[in-house]
Amino acid sequence: MRRAFLNRVNEMIEKEKDTVFFTVDIGMWAIKESMEKYPERCKNVGIFEDGMMSIAAGMAKAGLIPVIFGIQPYLIERALEQIKLDLAYQKFGANIIGTGASIDYSKYGYSHYCPEDLHIIKAIPGCEFIAPGTKKQFLQLFNQTYRNNHPTFFRISDYPNKIYDPDVEFNKAVVIKEGKTATVIAVSVMLDNVMEACKDKDVTVLYYTTLEPFDYQTLSKYYNEGNILVVSPQFEGSLTFDVVKAFEGKPVNIREVSFKREIFRNYGTCEEKMNYYGLTKENIRLKLDKLTETKNGIICR
Amino acid sequence: MQTISKKLRKTALYLSYKCKDGNLQSVFSCLEIIWVLYDKIMNWSRKKANDENRDYFIISKGQATLALYPVLIEKGFFDFKDVANNIGKFDSRYCIQTDLTKFEGGIENNAGSLGHGLPFGAGTAYAKKIKNLKSNIFVLCGDGEFMEGTMWEACLFASSNKLDNLFVIIDDNNSAGSMVNMFDMKQKLEAFNFDVRKVDGHNEFELEKVFCELKLLKNGKPKAVIAKTIRGFGSETMMKNDIWFHKSPDKFELEQLTREVEAL
Repeated sequence: MRRAFLNRVNEMIEKEKDTVFFTVDIGMWAIKESMEKYPERCKNVGIFEDGMMSIAAGMAKAGLIPVIFGIQPYLIERALEQIKLDLAYQKFGANIIGTGASIDYSKYGYSHYCPEDLHIIKAIPGCEFIAPGTKKQFLQLFNQTYRNNHPTFFRISDYPNKIYDPDVEFNKAVVIKEGKTATVIAVSVMLDNVMEACKDKDVTVLYYTTLEPFDYQTLSKYYNEGNILVVSPQFEGSLTFDVVKAFEGKPVNIREVSFKREIFRNYGTCEEKMNYYGLTKENIRLKLDKLTETKNGIICR
Repeated sequence: MQTISKKLRKTALYLSYKCKDGNLQSVFSCLEIIWVLYDKIMNWSRKKANDENRDYFIISKGQATLALYPVLIEKGFFDFKDVANNIGKFDSRYCIQTDLTKFEGGIENNAGSLGHGLPFGAGTAYAKKIKNLKSNIFVLCGDGEFMEGTMWEACLFASSNKLDNLFVIIDDNNSAGSMVNMFDMKQKLEAFNFDVRKVDGHNEFELEKVFCELKLLKNGKPKAVIAKTIRGFGSETMMKNDIWFHKSPDKFELEQLTREVEAL
């Protein structure tokens, strides 16, 4: 996904004179030629994510399309007030592409993890949050949004889906399959595991890559007695408000397969972490079985 | 004090009285700076408020926004009665800070939290360079604001990218002194490869001279003007009593402070 993004950057800088790409000291290997050929519009800008958000807003004010590349927690958590005031409050657009996702830098420790990203960005009205599941989907979503004058955050992961790769559209969930006993919300890189766990189950699977704004309309069509399973590679609870809002006035029974809210102090591989926190097809199946066994009318067990 | 300085102060006082809020000490310390920029220095007029080649005034020390409204009123961009009758009201365009989304030009940024305006202005200055446009970007900062790390990030960015169209004006009213020792700001900024000048921030003639001189220096270096000012300048009461950092006048105080401004 990262490679696809940086290739797209090269093309964008070459062809579109009103675009600017700033990287915070990562990924230069893939854009070396563009950096040499267009040093003003394609550069390794410096290690200052917070100030850079303000700089990006200032560039957007003067009519440029800024694209910023960095590591997810530094782009989002370090720069939160700049995101809120300089981008969202002033209504200036920028494309912020973060690598690392929740735990891609598994051996680096919690400084490099960002399971909070969705929850944080959802707290700032006007921001968009996109989590593609494959490189094809990244390109589709980037091309649909990068000129829309909103602060748009792209969460790119080094661990994409390998089997399922449907076409996606900004702010639209994809109905992967329809069933009657529950609705499973598969987020981003969790689609392969969801499909493996649900293959013989009579459930609806909705695939979400745009998480803010949230496609309430599609979800609201698949109530399925209020049995909702959220499978998301973020902190648990990141989409709870959206699920409740989609079914406003109706009881919902939500279960989750997502990261437990704690400071991760373990290392190992990304796969080990996914196993430890239960983001596996086995656990999805287990939760789904429990969900479809529960009686109706009980909210959020 | 010049007639215009008195007039601007009286307008600021009245606006603060009407909206029952404000940071008048900080407003009074920078009125001459803003006036000189709009009246003598910037390529800006009411008709050019959306011109791509205009100069930009970015207010980074947002607590002094009540100093910007009087200048824009005087320049015919805002109507005095409109501002005075609406400032701070529920549906108003005007508040103690600014919200550019409510205006078609004239207000260039949303001020408020410190440390945002300078990097924002640096981004605009950079964009103007890329687009080969002539705009200069003037950013008014507080001396205390330079405690924020993003200010120095912006300085690094500005000098590394040779933004000689960026003018940083420090309203040095010694706010920082009660908290930290900023030591020699001129030396610091020169170390960041800025052209730096010191000036009496209440002397319009000196301000004009320094800005004119710096505008001619197209040498790849960003510019900084350290303007020595006095909090509450123009009112004996405000200069003596720091309660006026955040206080609005009642009717009696409005009359008293207006008399003080007239007398100076």
